[in-house]
Amino acid sequence: MRNQPGVARLSNPPGGMSLRQFFQWLSGAAVAMIPLYFIIAIVATLVYASGFQNFGWSFFSTNWNPNPNDPSVAAYGWFDFAVGSAITSAIALALAMVLSLGLAVCIVSFLPPFLSRLAAPVTDMLAGIPSVVYGIWGYVILAPYFSKVIDPWMVGTLGFLPGFNATPTQYAGGVGLILAIFILTIMVVPITTALVRDSLRSIPKELEEAGLALGATRWETMRRVKIPFIQRSIFSAGLLGFGRAIGETVAVFMVIGNEVTLPTSIFGGSTTMATLLVSQMDSAFTYPLLLKALVEIALVLMVISLSVNAIGLRLLGRKTVTGPGGIE
Amino acid sequence: MSGSVNRPAFAPASVADDLSARGFGRATRRILFDKWIGRLLPLLFIVVVFPILDMIWWIAQNALPTMTWSTLTTPLYGDVGGLYGAILGTTYLAGLALAICGVLGIFGGMYTAEYASPRTATFARLFGNILAGTPAIVIGYTGYFLLVLYTGWGTSIAAGAITLSVFMLPWVFRTTDLAFLSVPPTLREASLGLGATHRQYLFRVGFPVAFPRILTGIFIALAIGVGETAPLIFTAGWQLAPATSLTQGTSYLTGLIWTYFDEPANLGHLLALSFQAAFILFVIVIGLNVVVQIIGARYRRRLKGLFA
Repeated sequence: MRNQPGVARLSNPPGGMSLRQFFQWLSGAAVAMIPLYFIIAIVATLVYASGFQNFGWSFFSTNWNPNPNDPSVAAYGWFDFAVGSAITSAIALALAMVLSLGLAVCIVSFLPPFLSRLAAPVTDMLAGIPSVVYGIWGYVILAPYFSKVIDPWMVGTLGFLPGFNATPTQYAGGVGLILAIFILTIMVVPITTALVRDSLRSIPKELEEAGLALGATRWETMRRVKIPFIQRSIFSAGLLGFGRAIGETVAVFMVIGNEVTLPTSIFGGSTTMATLLVSQMDSAFTYPLLLKALVEIALVLMVISLSVNAIGLRLLGRKTVTGPGGIE
Repeated sequence: MSGSVNRPAFAPASVADDLSARGFGRATRRILFDKWIGRLLPLLFIVVVFPILDMIWWIAQNALPTMTWSTLTTPLYGDVGGLYGAILGTTYLAGLALAICGVLGIFGGMYTAEYASPRTATFARLFGNILAGTPAIVIGYTGYFLLVLYTGWGTSIAAGAITLSVFMLPWVFRTTDLAFLSVPPTLREASLGLGATHRQYLFRVGFPVAFPRILTGIFIALAIGVGETAPLIFTAGWQLAPATSLTQGTSYLTGLIWTYFDEPANLGHLLALSFQAAFILFVIVIGLNVVVQIIGARYRRRLKGLFA
């Protein structure tokens, strides 16, 4: 029956199951657990195809030198790309969280009802736009604009900060970390906004009413009552957004510049773990050891997203999360 | 004074005027702050609205001038032609993937909502949501090893569609689950109380009520399947001629953008073509999203009617 406490379960009479009921249960539970099978299949395949026997602990280093001609000097350490992933996802997530907190607060408390009903679907629609469309928009339209306007301006005003200094040749193409961060931020905002917004809406009405009745303004009720109440959900929205940002491949690949070195500044090209999986795949078709290294990086990516999502979902404590199109 | 007594204390504008007129320092500051933050926060929507409008503007400007009816009906050959092969490929891939994940997702979600024990249901939902958050490129790698190499199919529509269906499955799964959970309990009690078996309830009462919401899940999954690139790069292959069988590779709309987005200017036709593909994708995805919103709104109204 319906899985709520207190509702009688009609399909399982007391006194255990008959054999027929047991098989019914087995086949049904098998259907319900299909996502689990897929997750197991993904992890098992990646473990099987990865190169941990070949690389051992040298995989955990900054030494990336895929030299197919001389396997003895070849090295496959993934830390450089972890740095690229961490920079892009962490900065993009920080920006996205600030924006989406503001947006969610605004949608829930400050917009008139007809506007807030309209605002939610528009934000959700952004989440549904294909990443390859973001990518071509970023590469063809935004990259020239960044190289001509945004990057020189940022070097001029923020150039004294470490990581913000670059020569014009370094940002000539316009592609690079800063553009990737910009695109990622826009792609993560709708997801985190939807999560925070739904958490804010799920707060018991009495709390808000009590705050307002005690004379607090809307902002004070939000700041002192509602946001502390959903702290955990906000944290979990951040985790889920991080999982999305670190796994994003296509759009980031198109705008990040794909240089397999550590970036010297925020305007330079770089590589994330996810984009490396795509950019190196062509040579990996011919060099089995490189392919194994890539599969191991894919496995790391899978483990990161698995744990981040699992923790985030447990903290969220709701049955489901909002997806593209605003369906719950 | 008497004018403001009957007004609720949290109606900010008028109270602020009152208080400032009477020189309440701190209270005025608080209320004015509230008023201004309510005016400034909506400016954040520029961040959301600007990308959409900018994207629509530039993509339309690059795609529409050279777009004709023949763009949709001629296949690409070398660097001349249109999008017919890609549209056909996307239709095959997304259609086949939707058929697979639709069946699995609807039955899985139905079981989770209606039969599973609370513990099974909790875990099923958790794994569904985790699968929805799995990076698409990782699913693509798995598809490459399992379906392209291990089964020996090579890069083909079949391998691409199955890989894609794994990515689409959680959306159908969890919407179906929620659709059945959102059926009013009064309906269930009425039908079971009138002597219906659980299965009769499920197919004669629950399913018809939940159907619009299940449909929104299917449309969302379709929008995701049409727009996704990463699971297909290594599994669906690449073949310009329109596909004729499931064992062939194919071109597809997202793959076309992916392949030609950095073409040099002397092959401007291919760049225009990828903008046209982006435009079509945009229209399909936004269209599906709008349909989903409309169905969802009507569904909520209908549920309200059922409760009344």
